[in-house]
Amino acid sequence: MDKQLTDWREQATLLEKEINQVVVGQQKPVRLITTAIFARGHVLLEGDVGVGKTTLLRAFTRGIGGGYERVEGTIDLMPTDLVYHTYLGEDGRPHVDAGPLLRSGENLAVFFFNEINRARPQVHSLLLRVMAERTLSAFNAEHRFPHMMVFADRNQVEKEETFEIPSAARDRFMMEIPIVVPSEADIMESLMFDTRYHDADKLVENVKPDILHFDKLNKIAAILQDEIQASPTLRQYALNLWRASKEPAKFGVSVEGIDVNRLVLAGASPRGMSMMLRAARVNAWLNGRGAILPEDIHAVYHETIAHRLVFSPVYEMRRTEIARELLGNTLQAIAAP
Amino acid sequence: MKKYLLLLLLLIQPLFASAMEGIAQPPQDRRISLQVFNPERDVAYTIGELVPRTVVLEAKKPLTLLNTSLPIPGYERRWRGQVTGIELRTITHSQSLGTDSTTYILNLSYQIFTTGVTAKAAFLPAETIKFTDGKNIITYRIPEWGFRVSPIALFGSVKLEDDMSKYRGPLLLNPAPQKHHLKILLGIFGISLLGLLYILGMNTWLPRMGGPFARAYRDLRKLPDTPQGLQQAVERLHKALNLTAGTSVFSADNFITSKPAFAGLKGDIDQFFSLSRSVFFEPGAASGLQQPQQWLKRFCVSCRNYERGMK
Repeated sequence: MDKQLTDWREQATLLEKEINQVVVGQQKPVRLITTAIFARGHVLLEGDVGVGKTTLLRAFTRGIGGGYERVEGTIDLMPTDLVYHTYLGEDGRPHVDAGPLLRSGENLAVFFFNEINRARPQVHSLLLRVMAERTLSAFNAEHRFPHMMVFADRNQVEKEETFEIPSAARDRFMMEIPIVVPSEADIMESLMFDTRYHDADKLVENVKPDILHFDKLNKIAAILQDEIQASPTLRQYALNLWRASKEPAKFGVSVEGIDVNRLVLAGASPRGMSMMLRAARVNAWLNGRGAILPEDIHAVYHETIAHRLVFSPVYEMRRTEIARELLGNTLQAIAAP
Repeated sequence: MKKYLLLLLLLIQPLFASAMEGIAQPPQDRRISLQVFNPERDVAYTIGELVPRTVVLEAKKPLTLLNTSLPIPGYERRWRGQVTGIELRTITHSQSLGTDSTTYILNLSYQIFTTGVTAKAAFLPAETIKFTDGKNIITYRIPEWGFRVSPIALFGSVKLEDDMSKYRGPLLLNPAPQKHHLKILLGIFGISLLGLLYILGMNTWLPRMGGPFARAYRDLRKLPDTPQGLQQAVERLHKALNLTAGTSVFSADNFITSKPAFAGLKGDIDQFFSLSRSVFFEPGAASGLQQPQQWLKRFCVSCRNYERGMK
């Protein structure tokens, strides 16, 4: 069992290395996406336009292997567009073909939803079920997607012709990962002048394909969740973090200029905390440990919790900034042991 | 106004008294010297009590005492027509001859037969005795002695504040309640002092002596050398690190970033966190320490020294 876990860790490390060669200056997001893959959670990327979100996801898709489908979020996209599409064939007769969700069948490994916040709430609603249950009822049959991971990205800056993703839909994502432009001068320079970054399709092809076996990920994920231990002290620590996400003031957490008693309408959900612990276990495994440490939780805490918090409407406009400070202060306020 | 007059009277009273004494005293023969030994107590004599008095007279030769001039026991004394109530009960005398003088010792014992509803003045009467040098008779006066006679029992109410007698000692207040309060206050003071000493002991006697690591070390010394004791020791040191950094600390880098003064201890802090991991999170992980509790104490002392600026 240990050897199996070690072999998989080597493959995971190789995948990270491959991706980091293609998408430069994004080591932390790459580690987080790798974590999500082995924790079998869906990922939402958030960042400005042109920072490489799509390239990053495409690179990962190539490394994971399996069926890959992509859909662009638009205001006129309808749920049925994900399931099937109709057209007039060469024979002049109407035809119905499987849509992006059904096209790869059970081999669907990555479903990439670009600019998810441009799609209508009806589409979000369909996605909720697919993400939560990995099944879809269509054409009088139930279709299963046991290996599917949803990668989605959204642009938080642009608000026109967009729909806010409801908290129930956000909660289905294991992580929301911010992608920011690297600040190192040499990386910025090479992104401008190095011609290999100009053609994203060609760039992605540099990633070695099928490094991971997508159809074995569920099994290895289950094994490592069983193998990585959580001590009573860590359980208590995680419990305190959960309670603090609901009632930060009780744990002495404050945010400058904000009444924390009125800030949080809903803290992290049980599903959210469970996903956080799953991700923390994967992080411990990726670091070669057999048990979770507080640092493993810290490594995924912000990305697994921030998007689940529901703030008072008056603070929603400053959500990203407030959530970052709130969660950072929570980690500083709660000790383990 | 009345008060000022009274005060004035009190101030000039000694002048009048000495003037009166001067008038009353007849000129005494210089060849005779007198010593009188009166009782030390001059107040609170009651009816029936005996008051002794010793008179020592030294007369130059050829003067001799006339025994017939000595006071007679039982003789009724009057003053201003009133019986004084002080009677001589016994008298003994002796004499000793010197080279140029004769010393006479008179032992007088008076009995008190007077009293009153309040304390009142009384006198052992002045006695007049006579000497002769063979030709002349010389009269010599032994002065009176004043004292105070008190009633055995009081009847009715007496306003003592009006009694300005010089024989009365100062009116003493009952100090018992104040003494009781004093004892209580001293008790409270003592407890407060102990409390203050305890607080100072817990925190600091001198600057930099009551820091988180100093307190942690005091606690560590009390912990037993058991697995539970080890857990408590690691937890106690975590608390000290958190207090020093002002935030929860999870790694040496984390701590040194907020407290660069401890950079010299980075290796030890790393070792502490690996011990903490093996104790609290990953029981299988080796900490690399043979006697972790002894090491923790040494580590805590090092931290305490850094805390005090003794690098």
